[in-house]
Amino acid sequence: MNHADIGTITVRGGVVLRASPAREPCFRVVEDQARMAKFPDGSLEHRREMLHGDLNEEVQSLEIAAQSLVDFPDAPWDIRLQLARQCWDEVRHARAFLARLIELGGHKGEFPIINQEWGVVCMFDSLVGRLAVQNRLFEGGSLDVLKQGVEVLTGWGDPTTAEILDAVAADEVQHVRFANGWLERLRKEDPRSLLKAIAAMDALRQWSLALTPPEMKMEHDIPVNVEDRRDAGFTVE
Amino acid sequence: MQLNVKQRGDHVATFRWIEVRVMEMLARWVPTTPETEVKLAFGTHIWDFAQHADHLGKRTHELRLPPQFSLAPVPGYALFLADLAETTASDRRVAACYDCLLPALERRYREYASRVDPLLDGPTLRIVEHILFDLARMQKEGQALRDEVPAVATTDAAWIAALRRHEMEFTDIVLGRPAEAAAERDAA
Repeated sequence: MNHADIGTITVRGGVVLRASPAREPCFRVVEDQARMAKFPDGSLEHRREMLHGDLNEEVQSLEIAAQSLVDFPDAPWDIRLQLARQCWDEVRHARAFLARLIELGGHKGEFPIINQEWGVVCMFDSLVGRLAVQNRLFEGGSLDVLKQGVEVLTGWGDPTTAEILDAVAADEVQHVRFANGWLERLRKEDPRSLLKAIAAMDALRQWSLALTPPEMKMEHDIPVNVEDRRDAGFTVE
Repeated sequence: MQLNVKQRGDHVATFRWIEVRVMEMLARWVPTTPETEVKLAFGTHIWDFAQHADHLGKRTHELRLPPQFSLAPVPGYALFLADLAETTASDRRVAACYDCLLPALERRYREYASRVDPLLDGPTLRIVEHILFDLARMQKEGQALRDEVPAVATTDAAWIAALRRHEMEFTDIVLGRPAEAAAERDAA
């Protein structure tokens, strides 16, 4: 497959997303969150499904960072360098999740996967839009999810997976931080360029409403990971 | 004859251009390669190439060039890399990277090291030593990848041999700085 071959797809709510990146035949790629597997909380199947999903999330994050290196060759070198480093970080995370999945008796392709993060982020035609959504919003949100995951997995008696999540969270702080740092620099030096970040966030809000199946609306808020968010350059009030 | 400061700057800036292009080539291949392990290997090596480019880019500033300055190689070599980036089959991508490009880069860096004064160009040689260390590791990782993923373990032997031969046809890949190269041509 050539990179120009990745077109677009229309999914739930008529939302147009970038089509999936290449996957091995063992994976069943779905386009709707409602078709993902569900298991009782804390069960072995649930933990394996979670790790399988985390593996695919990390692979998508790698693909998004890599695609941004391709799509924005004129971006400042320090940002490109950070994106390249992010590629390696996401690789290490993917390997850790895959190894743990196998330890727990799972395997690649055991559950359906969805590539919505890639599909959403790669629709944005500016690096500032992609970093605002992928690094600041998605990875910023993952700081909250990962911290809660560490506590939940420890409570389920799985400190090994909890340790992996904690290490991943530490790396994600830097991915959020460099994006926040660049956005802050742009705010001072070229505030008009941030309009693309704002437009991307607006588009994301609309797409999220359309893409989330009604039965999957969040019933409770995830606690904010104040320490990591502050470390990543967010102003926490 | 050993390379002078200007020639060393040209070489370092050209190497930087190549490292960035190869980084971009692997980045382009990551989303379009189906095999997970291959994606992960390419993703790892994106960071290696980026670091090489960064170290070389710091050195360009010490050789009377701007920081992170790149110089395109001779057009034929640039075209060779552009064609390589269009490779689509995973086994060919793996072979192109680990059996052709990395050994070729290793050869070119060693050749550079043999053409400079180790005292006067010590800082570049330190960078080159690190890059050579990385290139050897990356080739080992490429072999481990093929041990792990039989689908990419072998490729068309004639194709890879032709690719290697083509790469070696470019004996001197350094074009030099455009304005000065033009002036030299005019003088000739």
